[in-house]
Amino acid sequence: MAASKISNGRSIAEINQKIKSGDVQVLTAEEMRKLVESSDVEVAYKEVDVVTTGTFGAMCSSGAIINLGHSDPPIKIQRAWLNDVEVSHPGAAVDLYIGATMMSDTQPYEYGGGHVIEDLIAGKEIEVRATSYGTDCYPRTKLDTTITKHDLNQFYLLNFRNCYQRYVCATNSRDEMIYTYMGKLLPRFRNATYSGAGALNPLMNDPDYETIGVGTRIFVGGAQGYVIGEGTQHDPNNRFGTIMVRGDCKKMSPEFIRGGAFTKYGTSLYIGMGIPIPMLNEGLAKKTSLRDEEIFTDIVDYGVPRRGRPKLGEVSYATLKSGEVTINDRKIRVSSLSSLKKARKIAETLKSWIENGTFYLSAPAETLPTDSVCNPMKQTGEIAFVNSVAHEAVICRVDEGIKAVAQRIISKSVNHVVVTDKSGEIKGIVTSWDLTRAIAEGKSRLVDVITKKVFTTRPDESLEAASRKMAQHHISALPVIDRDKKVVGLITSEDISKLRGR
Amino acid sequence: MKKVDRILLRFSEENVAEPITSQVILELGIPMRIVTATVNSLGGDILLEVPAVHVEKVVQAFRKKGVVVKFPMLIEVDYDKCFDCGACYALCPVDAISFDEEHSVVFDEKKCIGSPCGLCVDACPARAIKLVEQQRNHPK
Repeated sequence: MAASKISNGRSIAEINQKIKSGDVQVLTAEEMRKLVESSDVEVAYKEVDVVTTGTFGAMCSSGAIINLGHSDPPIKIQRAWLNDVEVSHPGAAVDLYIGATMMSDTQPYEYGGGHVIEDLIAGKEIEVRATSYGTDCYPRTKLDTTITKHDLNQFYLLNFRNCYQRYVCATNSRDEMIYTYMGKLLPRFRNATYSGAGALNPLMNDPDYETIGVGTRIFVGGAQGYVIGEGTQHDPNNRFGTIMVRGDCKKMSPEFIRGGAFTKYGTSLYIGMGIPIPMLNEGLAKKTSLRDEEIFTDIVDYGVPRRGRPKLGEVSYATLKSGEVTINDRKIRVSSLSSLKKARKIAETLKSWIENGTFYLSAPAETLPTDSVCNPMKQTGEIAFVNSVAHEAVICRVDEGIKAVAQRIISKSVNHVVVTDKSGEIKGIVTSWDLTRAIAEGKSRLVDVITKKVFTTRPDESLEAASRKMAQHHISALPVIDRDKKVVGLITSEDISKLRGR
Repeated sequence: MKKVDRILLRFSEENVAEPITSQVILELGIPMRIVTATVNSLGGDILLEVPAVHVEKVVQAFRKKGVVVKFPMLIEVDYDKCFDCGACYALCPVDAISFDEEHSVVFDEKKCIGSPCGLCVDACPARAIKLVEQQRNHPK
């Protein structure tokens, strides 16, 4: 009788019955892969009831809703800060949403909403500051107090996009180091970063979302939580599925939920998440035996600050986890931004909860959509790019005399002359100021006065990015170069202000 | 193992051509380990490991020859804060960061060059890495 049931598939009710009686068979996704490799899918399916997964990474689209309780006299909070981090006040009077990426007014980039959530979970005391305009029913206009998690009526994570199925591998083509949400990227492809646990990743183990949806009970931050739907930007067709999540912060542990700081980018929240995959059919047993070698992702150039960042190739999670990737035929080191050690711990912890009978599976009321699409933004305004403003660059060669270049500056009435070699490749830049200084210091060779380390732009860079570059480096012009470093034009801060003034 | 201190020698365009390091080693007869060296005709840095008992003598000898000597700061890792992501791993130019079998991040303090580099410090999302002054017997 029991055998025929198994061949027809397992139900979640049957699995829960086994959890209750203590004879449920649970493996982590890594153990499941080994079992399938050493026996086969059919055997693994018969033996295993649940496969656990895990991931621990920065999940920016997260936050916590808290309810402070009413003060006396009462206040309808308009603006509020927790440890100097501004929080939003989306509701009635004393409900606050702590956004993970909101930064501290006093320690921006170092401390933010993610850290406030971590500190509250750790039991620390938090300073609350709030202001309001005052109403007949809520007369109070100022509030200063301190709270711990025990003083809050509700303290729940409400995350709108978590647990990306997989993520891209980031690198940087620029001549300068950049700081991104994918971490610190050295110039000229000298390192790369990636995120995600690969074959241990929750959504990767149920890629058709047969068992995951609204109401699926999961591991969140060391406590039990729930999937409450698909996450924002959920993109099933491209294997970039996401989930929306609720979790009970009062039961969480800082071991599995931590604030994160990304230099010159901002703050975030690292969350540990694990989803149990019930072995309802043999297909799921096969899917959970997936290997890192089978999961591929794109290597993407974050040096190009456009929505469609250039793809430089494909790489498997097996290669990423090896610590080395090949970009443009060169081997470079790659860092993970998420913790594989913690991901494993989460899959193990969830496994032990199910074995101990403290965690029961739940069937989703509705599974995640498999056909939704993630569209780009509709933009009504016109966006200006460098090529719409750049003009022809006045050019000279390294071996020309200072006088000849000075004459060109006068005759063309410009301030910047771009130095190139015979093929037109950029070699430097020289300004009228450089020439003035050369005369003052008695220098006669052009090579002694040019700036060799030049900041440049590309025709398809946005004007905003180009002007940000000029402001950052205190310069007034950027040569425009193509992929081969050939000079195709020049853009000055004057060009940009003219356009803005229009 | 004997206690060692690390000193950073800064050479200028004027003195970089002279064989100062070997002169000091010969004069004092003290063994020193070159941890890293980045030197060209315009000057550069050498990071030296010197027996702690002789560090004062060595520093004075280099300073007498016009070399700027500094005590570089060293990396200190707060393992309670570190959550073993490994964001630091690919940035380390001297292979001082690796993973053990459990996938914990491990720092090799002997390989790490400290403040002349420091690339990993602001890349740590957990802010678990700090540059700290060396603990020395003769502060200067």
